[in-house]
Amino acid sequence: MADVDAKPERAASAWRDTELFHDFRRSPLAVVSLLIVVTLVAAALGADVVAPFNSNDPASANVIDARLPPGSIGTMGQRYLLGTDPQGRDMLSAIIYGLRISLLVGFGSVALAAFVGMVLGLLSGYCGGLLDALVMRIADVQLSFPTILIALMIDGITRTVMGREMHDAMALSVLILAIAATYWVQYARIIRGLVLVERTKEYVLAAKVTGVSPFRIIASHIRPNVTGPMLVIATINLALAIITEATLSFLGVGVPPTMPSLGMLVRIGNEYLFSGDWWISIFPGATLVLLSLSVNLFGDWLRDALNPKLSGT
Amino acid sequence: MKSLLSVRRLRVEIPTRSATLVVVDDVSFEVAEGEILGVVGESGAGKSMTGIAIIGLLDPPARIAAGEIIFAGRRLDNLDAEAMRTLRGRQIGAVFQDPLTSLNPLLTIGHQLVQTMTTHLDISQREARQGAAALLAEVGVPAAAERLAAYPHELSGGMRQRVVVALAFCCNPKFVIADEPTTALDVSIQAQVMEMLRRISREHGTAIMLITHDMGVIAELADRVAVMYAGRIIEIGPTRAVLKSPSHPYTRALMASIPIIDRRAASLLQIEGSMPRPDAIPSGCAFHPRCPSRLARCNHDRPELAPVDGSLAACWLNAATRT
Amino acid sequence: MLGRTDEVLSVSGLTKRFSTANSVLTRMLSGKNRRHVVHAVEDVTFSIGRGSTLALVGESGCGKSTIARCITGILAPTSGTIDFMGVDMGQAHSGRALRAHRRHLQMIFQDPYASLNPRWRVGRIIAEPIVTHRLLESRAKVEARIEDLLLLVGLSAQDAMRYPHQFSGGQRQRISIARALASEPDFIVCDEPTSALDVSVQAQILNLMRRLQERLGLTYLLISHNLAVVAHMAERIGVMYLGRIVEIGEAGTVLASPLHPYTRMLLDTLPDLEMRRRHRPPLKGDVPSPLAPPTGCAYHPRCPLANVRCTHERPQPINTGGVVVACHAVAEGRASQAAMLRTPPS
Repeated sequence: MADVDAKPERAASAWRDTELFHDFRRSPLAVVSLLIVVTLVAAALGADVVAPFNSNDPASANVIDARLPPGSIGTMGQRYLLGTDPQGRDMLSAIIYGLRISLLVGFGSVALAAFVGMVLGLLSGYCGGLLDALVMRIADVQLSFPTILIALMIDGITRTVMGREMHDAMALSVLILAIAATYWVQYARIIRGLVLVERTKEYVLAAKVTGVSPFRIIASHIRPNVTGPMLVIATINLALAIITEATLSFLGVGVPPTMPSLGMLVRIGNEYLFSGDWWISIFPGATLVLLSLSVNLFGDWLRDALNPKLSGT
Repeated sequence: MKSLLSVRRLRVEIPTRSATLVVVDDVSFEVAEGEILGVVGESGAGKSMTGIAIIGLLDPPARIAAGEIIFAGRRLDNLDAEAMRTLRGRQIGAVFQDPLTSLNPLLTIGHQLVQTMTTHLDISQREARQGAAALLAEVGVPAAAERLAAYPHELSGGMRQRVVVALAFCCNPKFVIADEPTTALDVSIQAQVMEMLRRISREHGTAIMLITHDMGVIAELADRVAVMYAGRIIEIGPTRAVLKSPSHPYTRALMASIPIIDRRAASLLQIEGSMPRPDAIPSGCAFHPRCPSRLARCNHDRPELAPVDGSLAACWLNAATRT
Repeated sequence: MLGRTDEVLSVSGLTKRFSTANSVLTRMLSGKNRRHVVHAVEDVTFSIGRGSTLALVGESGCGKSTIARCITGILAPTSGTIDFMGVDMGQAHSGRALRAHRRHLQMIFQDPYASLNPRWRVGRIIAEPIVTHRLLESRAKVEARIEDLLLLVGLSAQDAMRYPHQFSGGQRQRISIARALASEPDFIVCDEPTSALDVSVQAQILNLMRRLQERLGLTYLLISHNLAVVAHMAERIGVMYLGRIVEIGEAGTVLASPLHPYTRMLLDTLPDLEMRRRHRPPLKGDVPSPLAPPTGCAYHPRCPLANVRCTHERPQPINTGGVVVACHAVAEGRASQAAMLRTPPS
């Protein structure tokens, strides 16, 4: 209650000195998982350079070379490191391009969900009253649905509304929208809770006394103080979003068949699993597992590492 | 009076990545049976840490690095956790600042009292209930017998603090540590609780180590007082002597900076600067950078507690004026 | 800015009640309809002259913080008027016009750790009133003003680049004061400005506040539970109990010859720092809750002078020798007997 001595002065930007960085270096799990994620992201971004074939180009799929096991040489002398799928597509290239879609949809939906959730959480928490009740009841209702169901619902609606061709052209956007629609609730709730705490603090009252407009108070004062936990939620969300996209593609309602999503590849290979052509399902599946596991583990570590700081101030 | 608690050259350290912080530095004092010793100081002085170290509740990495704590002939500082737990509650009680977190919100106060008493004392449930009701009446809770069935949130702040005191005294301990027991209460309730503490301590013959930042509480309750600054005791002696004629410049300045109603000064005496942090304690006397009467040697020689006018004070000025 | 009269603030019949009814949904779903009205502030009237300090004293639940929030326009009063330099702050919720008027009014808060935005640099925090009211045109002028303010409160110009967590509690209060002075206000509401500070730091801040008042001609409303601090700072004192002012008058008079039994009790509970071992009448009773106020005079359960009339009839304020007090015992002339029980100082 009485006067407490100030903490030692620390340049705000020297993050190398922070506890977080030291914790990171000491945790092999964090380092390895981050490394894996970074490698996969780099591969996906540089797909045009890294992949032996351009999977988006239908001409690269040679039907004659269909269902070749890993390591085989194709009719034109190319080496298929991970084999080919029923259409003659090189698995390795397809996986790398598929990663691109997974990451694109994953990051996109998380970013959208975070933004929408943040805005709704801020407004809901600060304004209270009817707006708050409305948003929270919508959130409650939404939480009672399984996420896949909601994504399916949105996807189905857009498909009927837009017609097949337009839907295929905008497939990724629709997917991002559908997945984001299921995940915004977590952000909104957590942000709202934090806003409820912050808005009674005296620095907000000081701004009110000064005559600062409510919009500025929300945007400049409260927002910077409540968005901390979002990073942790986002990393865990990312893994879920990637799996959700894969699931939707596996079910046939995700990306159109022309785009090689990882989930789609698993679906294609599913039929051939028991006839011996295991590589068509297993490799994409393993990649999915590796990606989401690494993101998950990193998110877990991040949450634990940030936690004592959050509660120990 | 016999000495009940003897703290000798206690040193508490907290190792951090950059340095080892010394939060209690070479602290020694005695508490006699039945006496109330006040430990006063501003934030960061180390008074709470001293109390926590004595009662064995230091959170790692904080640890007792040196010194001894002797209670009724036994050493406490090297006692294992199990033995310490038995000692707490039975021989040593504790009252902390926030009555809300000191009581279990899910149990009735009767339950908490009875549970504590039956754990440490060899009595039946019925006897414990009777004892609890009597104790509640003693601390000034009206309708004590009915109140046993109340939950903490049903009581006001002042009543809760009385219950906390009752909990601390229920096993008739010889010694109670009270850390800011009245700070969270309204002023009119503060006065009542302090009066009650004094009465219950006299009647049970319990010694109290009273930790506070409020000189007013010291004036009301303490028989003797130790003034702490930057982890050290810089003055210790009978309350009257220390408050009315302090022998250390810090104590003097502190007393002069407290507004008193009947003394209307144009401006309060202010000490420039603030207490040093544990990682930046000045050499020699810790107070010397802020001291209006510092000598040259205060910069590099650390003064020990020496007798002055019936108290002990750690200040070179006293040595200079003696002989 | 000159007011029309010499009074900066004039509060009349201020009343604030809170409803603790459950929300519509809860009432529908659970059938529980808890309709309690909390009478936080009831019929409060006072005024403050320019350049002086009025202190409102009381314990928790007395309504002093609620009054502060009504005056600064954070809460809308249930009834009554708050005339601040010609404008009724009770209507402060509506209207941009009122926002401009706010530059004359500022507030300092109790908790130095929560009153500064931890993510903002100190310079930006202090500049907020200037920026909000667009008082200075160029960035350079704003920065010069920030530097002036920092020096005025005893900090250094480089502190503008630092963050609040790098400062101690006392320094943070100085930053709060600098922010409060940024728009050159006439009036500052100080809500327990030193309660969370160590005694030696408190002295620094109180001295600073007095110096600034003299130098800048500021008017203060000081809210505190500490009578000694109030004695040091205020020309006039208002004592509050459960939402009402029970005694209000010139500081010296109220402290030397308190009329209301509650005022006397507050003075009796002051610590005896000069070790005089003065006699103290026995204290009893708990601070009442605004949810369940006693009937008649709210203080009667704890009052040594309470009679039957006190239990059912609320006392009206009367003016005795410049001090306005609401007490039956005083009105009936019974209070003087009790005055003899209190040992006068020194």
